[in-house]
Amino acid sequence: MTAPAATSTVIRCRINGHGREMLVPVRLTVAELLRDRLGLTGTKVSCEMQVCGVCTVLVDGNPVSSCTTLACDLDGAEVLTVEGLARGRELHPVQEAFMDANALQCGFCTPGFIMMAVALLDGHPHADPTEVREWMDGNLCRCTGYEPIETAVTVAASRMGDQ
Amino acid sequence: MAALPELGLVRSDELDDVLAAVGYDYAPYAGGTELVPAMGLGLRRPAAIVDLKRVEALKGIGVDVAAGSVTIGAAVTHRRLSEHPGVREHLPTLAAAASRVGNARVRSTGTVGGNLCFAEPRSDLGCVLVALGATAEVRSAGGARTLSVDELIVGGFETSLAENELLTAVTVPFEPTGMSYWKLQSYERPTLGVALVVSANQWQVTVGAATERPTRAVIAAGDDAGLADFVDGLEFSDDMTGPPAYKRSVLRAYLEQSLGAAL
Repeated sequence: MTAPAATSTVIRCRINGHGREMLVPVRLTVAELLRDRLGLTGTKVSCEMQVCGVCTVLVDGNPVSSCTTLACDLDGAEVLTVEGLARGRELHPVQEAFMDANALQCGFCTPGFIMMAVALLDGHPHADPTEVREWMDGNLCRCTGYEPIETAVTVAASRMGDQ
Repeated sequence: MAALPELGLVRSDELDDVLAAVGYDYAPYAGGTELVPAMGLGLRRPAAIVDLKRVEALKGIGVDVAAGSVTIGAAVTHRRLSEHPGVREHLPTLAAAASRVGNARVRSTGTVGGNLCFAEPRSDLGCVLVALGATAEVRSAGGARTLSVDELIVGGFETSLAENELLTAVTVPFEPTGMSYWKLQSYERPTLGVALVVSANQWQVTVGAATERPTRAVIAAGDDAGLADFVDGLEFSDDMTGPPAYKRSVLRAYLEQSLGAAL
């Protein structure tokens, strides 16, 4: 200590099940890595203030705002984005529930809502309506279609809890 | 938002390495929930970030039953704080407040130390920790000192830490009986937070979020005039969540209702 701080670093992580080893600039955000370098554009970017939730991805199962998380923090991590949910043509139960409940209008917020719901239900498979609201209230739908979204998460909870 | 400017990274498992690096241009970095947006807006331009997340010494939660306190590492996340059995048992009001900070993403990455050291006035933890009489443990390459969280928070976005100092932990006395925390909140941050410790002969009132820093008063139970003086003497902030008169009015109504006072 103290050597000049490196401005890039090597990260080794798994993204949607695929092992990756990459040299990333320290200033690179997870959203930039996913969208611009890996072409995973299902993750959206909007407020860049951790408020709207459209950029939500899971890092080691925890929901994070990919727009304000640095890619250097992914070293050693398991990352899940909306592209990693389906098994071939079989959708994840949360995706199925969003379709069944018509829980999307323009669709821009949908990946973020779905990833937050997956984070909730992975840890709390029997989430009650209060927990659903506490977890989902950090995601915004500008079309204001909150009720079908709440229904979808509740339906997914009951289906996944039964399994 | 444009890409962040060039940024260096200091990363170590050792607290001493971190302490040797921390300075104005070498910003402590854990959850990044405050720092990264601030860098994105150009409000903070460090040459490098000093990653605290690999330092185990900053991530512990220790319950000391003999001393009657819980020590919480600065890099403990809100979510871990809210879910920890010892915190839930001995500091239930703090655990509940942590479970409602920001949103689920902020809670899973944001830390206790980051919340206090960024010193955003609209903080739940600052108010609750001042009400509990928590102390801050501070280290630098040259030494260590302890001060109260009340002394740590100087004002809006300002702490009494020197540039080379790092908050390493807070030590919180077990919660007294009669404690509660209530907040008014419309968006991600509280508009007004009120921590009360009520006993037969005393009202301890700590007001946060609506003022530049948490403000605590100890008033004899039933001294409505003393309580009114305290409320009238507070300087409320004027921001998007409402003008000072509104915040004063909400506080007055809440205290009347919860303490049975006539203000």
